[in-house]
Amino acid sequence: MSEMSEKTETTSDARRRILNIAVSTVLLETGFDAADKVSLETLTEMLQCFFAEVGNSAKGFCELSGRVEPVLGDVVMALINMGISLQGIEQYAARPNRHVIQPPQQAPAPRT
Amino acid sequence: MQMSRIGSPSVGMDDDGCAGHALGDFLLQLENYNPSIPDSVVAYYLNLTGFESQDPRLVRLIALASQKFLSDIVNDALQHCKMRTSNQINQSSKNQKGPKEKKYVMTMDDLAPALQEYGITAKKPHYFV
Repeated sequence: MSEMSEKTETTSDARRRILNIAVSTVLLETGFDAADKVSLETLTEMLQCFFAEVGNSAKGFCELSGRVEPVLGDVVMALINMGISLQGIEQYAARPNRHVIQPPQQAPAPRT
Repeated sequence: MQMSRIGSPSVGMDDDGCAGHALGDFLLQLENYNPSIPDSVVAYYLNLTGFESQDPRLVRLIALASQKFLSDIVNDALQHCKMRTSNQINQSSKNQKGPKEKKYVMTMDDLAPALQEYGITAKKPHYFV
């Protein structure tokens, strides 16, 4: 049991670490030189909550219209419903000095 | 009266159509685009909530939107930080002269007012280590 919980913690840790790197990347791009642990952790938690909220909301809109797989409209509705502005997203996507985080390596399945 | 009532939604629909087209075009561009956050990580968190899409472009759109959201907040926090430090430097330069190199450090003091503008109340936990 304890092994199990430890395992789930380490697997979610890998994604969480990448979110941490993503937040740090955004901070560096914006012009911060450093951040304290509390604010970094707050932003990481917010990013994770953002994904959870968009996913939940988009799924809700999708199922409300009787579909199984979400389409663009569902995601846009979810984002707008959350009050996220999509105004300058194309300019943001094309911004210079963009940094792409390497996707995590797939761990080999443990053999018993 | 009747005319205007019929007229106004169609105007709204037109606007939606334009925005939809623009976003649709943007979605096509996302085909060959890599956001900073890897697809697999975003997809994992989306799958946790039951959102399962075969289209990686939707995942990329969400990743990009989240990053922009974060970037907007952090930019606000940076402005707060700059204002705060410039006040401090003005005060300290009266006492001791000499140029001090500026290093911007994000703290909860900057982040909390920036988040407040977005309607998010963040309080510094007292016993967080």
